Amino acid sequence: MKRWIALLAVFVLVLAACTGDDDTAGDDGGATTTAGGGTETTAATETTAPGDGGESTTTVAQVADESLIETVTANGVLKCGTRDALPGFAVLDESGEHVGFDSDFCRVIAAAVLGDAEAVEHIDLETADRFTALQSGQIDVLVRNTTWTASRDGGEGATFMQPNFYDGQGMMVSADSGFASVSDMDGVIVCVAKGTTTEGNAAAEATRLGLNWEVRAFDDPNLIQEAFLAGQCDGWSSDVSQLVAVRSVYPDGPDALTILPEVFSKEPLAPAVRDGDTAWAQAVNWAILATIQAEEFGITSANVDDVLASSEDINILRFLGAEFETDSGTTVLDPGLGLPTDFAYQIVKQVGNYGEIFERHLAPLGLERGVNALWFDGGLLYAPPYR
Amino acid sequence: MTTVEAPQRPPFWRDVRVLSWAFQLVVFALVAFFIYWLVGNYQTNAERVGISTNFDFLDQPASFEIPGSEFSQTQPVRDAYVEGILNTIRISVVGIVLATVLGTLIGIGRLSRNWVVSRLATVYVEVVRNLPLLVIMVFTFLGLVLQVLPTIQEAWTPGGIMVFSNRGIAVPWYEGNSGTVLFLLFLVGAVGWWALARWRQGVAARTGAPSRAGLIGGGFFVAVMVIGWFALGFSVTTPVVEGRLSVGGIRLDPSYFAVLVALVVYTASHIAEIVRGSIQAVPKGQGEAASALALSGFQRMWFIVLPQAMRIAIPPLGNQYLNLIKNSSLGAGFAYFELTQVTQITVGNGSPAIPAFTLALAFYVVLSLITSAAVNIANRRFALVQR
Amino acid sequence: MTTRTAPAPALVWVRRHLFRSFWDGLMTVVFGGLGLYILFRLARFVFVTARWEIISTNLKLLMVGRWPDIHLPRISVTLVVLAALGGLVAGLIHARQVRAGTSAVEGMPLPARASDLGRRFGLLIGAVLLLLALTTTVGTWLTAAGFVVAGVVGRLAGARIGRDRLSRPVIILLTLVFIGVPAGMYLYLVDAVPLADWEGFFFNVSAAAAGIVLSFPLGVLLALGRRSRLPLLKTVSTVYIEVVRGAPLYVLLLLANVSLEFFVPASFSPSKPIRAIVTFTLFTAAYLAEIVRGGLQSVPRGQEEAAKALGLSPVKQMGLIILPQALRNVIPAQIGQFIALFKDTTLAGLGLGILELLGAAEAITQQPDFRGQGLIIESLAFVAFMFWVGSFTMSRESQRLERKLGVGTR
Repeated sequence: MKRWIALLAVFVLVLAACTGDDDTAGDDGGATTTAGGGTETTAATETTAPGDGGESTTTVAQVADESLIETVTANGVLKCGTRDALPGFAVLDESGEHVGFDSDFCRVIAAAVLGDAEAVEHIDLETADRFTALQSGQIDVLVRNTTWTASRDGGEGATFMQPNFYDGQGMMVSADSGFASVSDMDGVIVCVAKGTTTEGNAAAEATRLGLNWEVRAFDDPNLIQEAFLAGQCDGWSSDVSQLVAVRSVYPDGPDALTILPEVFSKEPLAPAVRDGDTAWAQAVNWAILATIQAEEFGITSANVDDVLASSEDINILRFLGAEFETDSGTTVLDPGLGLPTDFAYQIVKQVGNYGEIFERHLAPLGLERGVNALWFDGGLLYAPPYR
Repeated sequence: MTTVEAPQRPPFWRDVRVLSWAFQLVVFALVAFFIYWLVGNYQTNAERVGISTNFDFLDQPASFEIPGSEFSQTQPVRDAYVEGILNTIRISVVGIVLATVLGTLIGIGRLSRNWVVSRLATVYVEVVRNLPLLVIMVFTFLGLVLQVLPTIQEAWTPGGIMVFSNRGIAVPWYEGNSGTVLFLLFLVGAVGWWALARWRQGVAARTGAPSRAGLIGGGFFVAVMVIGWFALGFSVTTPVVEGRLSVGGIRLDPSYFAVLVALVVYTASHIAEIVRGSIQAVPKGQGEAASALALSGFQRMWFIVLPQAMRIAIPPLGNQYLNLIKNSSLGAGFAYFELTQVTQITVGNGSPAIPAFTLALAFYVVLSLITSAAVNIANRRFALVQR
Repeated sequence: MTTRTAPAPALVWVRRHLFRSFWDGLMTVVFGGLGLYILFRLARFVFVTARWEIISTNLKLLMVGRWPDIHLPRISVTLVVLAALGGLVAGLIHARQVRAGTSAVEGMPLPARASDLGRRFGLLIGAVLLLLALTTTVGTWLTAAGFVVAGVVGRLAGARIGRDRLSRPVIILLTLVFIGVPAGMYLYLVDAVPLADWEGFFFNVSAAAAGIVLSFPLGVLLALGRRSRLPLLKTVSTVYIEVVRGAPLYVLLLLANVSLEFFVPASFSPSKPIRAIVTFTLFTAAYLAEIVRGGLQSVPRGQEEAAKALGLSPVKQMGLIILPQALRNVIPAQIGQFIALFKDTTLAGLGLGILELLGAAEAITQQPDFRGQGLIIESLAFVAFMFWVGSFTMSRESQRLERKLGVGTR
């Protein structure tokens, strides 16, 4: 069955002829014979089970026998999947450089792995192809404002990292609309941006509250704003970070809009890597955690050199990859992540700690730290100890 | 070639028939092998990254809603596809009719003796034809729907039976029984009209009595519709504004309106050129003869020139109809829930991308093949039988 | 009527063309009013209300994307070389027409020729001048100057070369030049910036050109296959043509976006521009095949019969006699297909996320300085203008060519 459908897919794509399925011998046999087309794929035919069964993660990592951490180091450049028009997270400046919170996390990973924050190739992806790009090896890591969900973890062949931003879907209305709560909104039109979980969340929320919403999905945020300005939509539903960003530069002034208090979904936005490459996943994860750890220590790009020169704190010295005294002389902590020992120093020096990145890109939108504050400030950010 | 008697068969390596079959088989084998290779790659790669290649997603709940339809989020994806196809057909059929009318008018306008009219028609054609459709669509959405139509609070309600607002155009509609029944009723009436008209025309031809085909057939049609309407419990609902939406009647989605206008405007510019060329291809004598018979300008165009021009125009018009159907896929960007939009949203909500898009593509191909078959039939029916 | 004093010619014209009858007059007033109103709104937008800073700030991004500044001269060199090549073609065609005595411009006084050129390319020149006015660097002006000079030199050289009948070595040499130089320019550009990074309007133009050139062989083969008497070949070609023509390009691009890497060995992951060009090529080939088929049908049967009578082999009949005539007849239709593809390259932005002109125009509206101000209108107006100037100029030239070739007037 699967073969036949795959054949149908190719038939329509390649559009060449109507027959040719003379290989109905059996699933596994077919796969083995056809693998001759590619040189590196022959290894994959030994394991025929799809790579979702328990611990048999071997099936997925066959593109290259080595971990991406070695490939990326050898290439000297990190291919980071991102986007080009999401205010605060990733936009293009007039020279075409990617600027934003997510773009800086690409740089964080590059600084950690390669020691150079600028050794990043930002690859713009659409919502529809972001996971296939990851699966096919077109990108090394996906930092594209992507919500971590169970079915993406399980079904899309992606492994999610420490979220770099905790978001949630909210609702924005005109200040003069009289709506004070989402549950007031019955018989209304709600506009959303297309392609993600947003429509589904809005539909689910309406059902939960027993409300009648018409959800209209647009490709282009410009169109939503124009539709909203013209009074075609009563509500604008999106991740709160985006609503705040829109509100801060709304043509009629920020006060013309109200973001309702309810947040009706959890959207932990997390970088993702391909399933099955544990070494790479750990390296990426610790690069992200290092920005949080640095903020916990109060190390910034401005003071990192001073801290390195003067600090006596063994935790900080370990973290920055500096030499510290042990009973058997001086040593440098190498936890075996495959990262250079000074990766945290490079991140902080070249890009900054979490707070700095946030201040640089998200604070100007009018976003507050909220749940994205450090744990001792009442937020959710917490880095495991680096030792 | 026609009468050569082969005295003896040439050796098979020089036999044209053998050679041609051998050549064909080689080509065919190459094509088949190519497809086989592609399918093999697809399966190997799909297994490697663990993505789904089957169509099981069609039975999963859709988890999004489609405005303007009964479709709810708990229904399977399959039903969403049906809804999307219906919407594609809806916009295509209406678009084809309107584009033909507008295109014909503009095509005639280009040949007008009136300088303003011919100039304006020329400018229209030359401007619209040379713009990307996507850009036109953004402009119709921003300019027409959002600028011209009023907000729901200031909706126009001409005669109290229609509601014009930028949330849609609501018109009176039937209720009380299903649309299929109404369509069957219409069919009965129309077939009766046609049969009666034929019968009366036959009588008229035989006896010379006035045929009164229109009166008798039309009367039958009206009678069937009126009696059926009341007997089957149909009634009319008229839309009224209730809160932020119009209730009752049927509401045309504003996005439908924007996409439809863009498709019509764009396709009409191409049809106008076809119509102009076809009119110019009708021998001049035809028009002059009509003038000599003292037919009015309208009669000359409607009864003499256009029917002959349309005969020439059918094949290229068919191409434009196909283009219109395919171009309706661009409505996906403007919150119109046609096939492509449904596919994109279902992929955004977790359906596997490759099978989902392949399915959409297959539907478009089928739709196009049906349309081009219809055009071919029309062409054969109207083509001038020569010599 | 005849005894009245003749009214002023202008008045006659007005009466004849605007107010022939009551209805005519009404139409004039209504449509004239409508036209003037649209013109007024448009002019007010362009000159008064629009804020064009978003365009002038991002001009480079819109035109060439993120092409590195140090490699920009390569684009300039390419443009200049291609101008010379274009001039050469124009010169050769002109010389041929002069020899055949069909040239429309030969012997025309210089001012008349200039105004003819102005009518044909005035819009294009105006658009280029506008773009130049928005730029801040000298390089673009130098490029434009080089472009003009190279074009003129090429035109003169072409006219000189073509003054006499071309000898066989010259023809071979010219063929090599016309194939080799564009290929060389491509290598010269790719050497600096890989195809994966071609963006902006530059991408739209290159992708359309690549699509039409690459689809040409496939299209001709498909057309021959469809007309072939060999049933298997005919089926394969027909199925391909009909299926591709039934599929929307946008959905094909969406599918290519998510699937192309799955159909090739895992070691090879095609970049987005390659996906776009592959899709454009496969798509356009089906349309070209139908165009070529039309051309083949337009060649009178007598040609084939005469070729047969001369004892030419079937391959030679097709290659030497029928195909050249067929292809010549369909040049205007091919230009039409090129225009369509040129406009359709905008779908690569929406479907594949390539930063082509339309994609860039939407992306720049999200920049911190410009977002939330409704500048999408200005941005798209620029896109519309660029595509319109290009398509309009090409379609006019194609109509001119059509008249010259005498297609459809036989």
